[in-house]
Amino acid sequence: MIDLSHYALLGNIAANLAESARETATTFGFHWSHFFAQIISFSIVAYLLHSRAYKPILKVLEERRQRIAESLTNVDRIKAELAETENARTNILSKANAQGNEMIAEARAAAAKVLENETQKAVSSAEQIIAKAREAAEADRDRMMLDLRREIGQLVAQTTAKVAGKSLSKADHQRLVEETNQQVAR
Amino acid sequence: MKTSKQTRREAKQLFVNCLVDGKLDEDRVRHTVRSVIERRPRRYISVLGQFQRLVKLDISRRTARVESAEPLTPKFRDSVRQNLENLYPTSLIIEFHENAGLIGGMRIQVGSDVYDGTIRHRLTHLEQQF
Repeated sequence: MIDLSHYALLGNIAANLAESARETATTFGFHWSHFFAQIISFSIVAYLLHSRAYKPILKVLEERRQRIAESLTNVDRIKAELAETENARTNILSKANAQGNEMIAEARAAAAKVLENETQKAVSSAEQIIAKAREAAEADRDRMMLDLRREIGQLVAQTTAKVAGKSLSKADHQRLVEETNQQVAR
Repeated sequence: MKTSKQTRREAKQLFVNCLVDGKLDEDRVRHTVRSVIERRPRRYISVLGQFQRLVKLDISRRTARVESAEPLTPKFRDSVRQNLENLYPTSLIIEFHENAGLIGGMRIQVGSDVYDGTIRHRLTHLEQQF
């Protein structure tokens, strides 16, 4: 609330200002011609300043203000885009991680399958090799047995021939040739 | 060398012409060979080769080769001869040979027929059994 003391104070200030103006006018003097010349020159200066200085400056300031506003807008847009980009990057990384994990899992499964197949092949090959080796061993054994029997047969035949040649009597010879003669006679 | 049908046919014809009462006549064989050589018909060498084969076969069929480890007595030879002539009515040429390699026994071959009672044959059979 403004009370009366304040109004009184304001009145005093106004009175002081008026007194100062009057004193100034009394000291420096007041001339209408000078006053109008001053008005004219001031108007010219004001016009020139307004048209040549203030306008371009205001224009520049306005442009700067617009640019700043645009920049701020751009900054917000860039921030939004950056956030979107970050989200996209995060999503892509997540997807890439997921795909990578999936690929690693598939590769491990494939490797396990290949390992299993190769193991089965190796086992099969080993079994075949063992079977072939066994067959070859049996064939060698059979062949050796055959050779052995043949050699024994030859030895038996040779020994028997030597013994029989020495031990056959005339009667034995006669009996043998009679046997053949009987075959022809039948 | 492969013998053609024509060559075999001609050789067979020559061979048939040399038979007298179903037996090969040696004089006719000689005469036939001499005649062919003189005339020298086409392929006469092949024909004569085939003719020679037929003659050899016939002689082989009619020849009995009797082999024994010990010499056979004349009486036993006659017995063998008689048995062979009974078995093969065509006139046989019977040859007797000694072969100590037979060890013991007798072996008779007439053409592709073989009667083998030798110890060598039995040993060979025994050896094959092993």
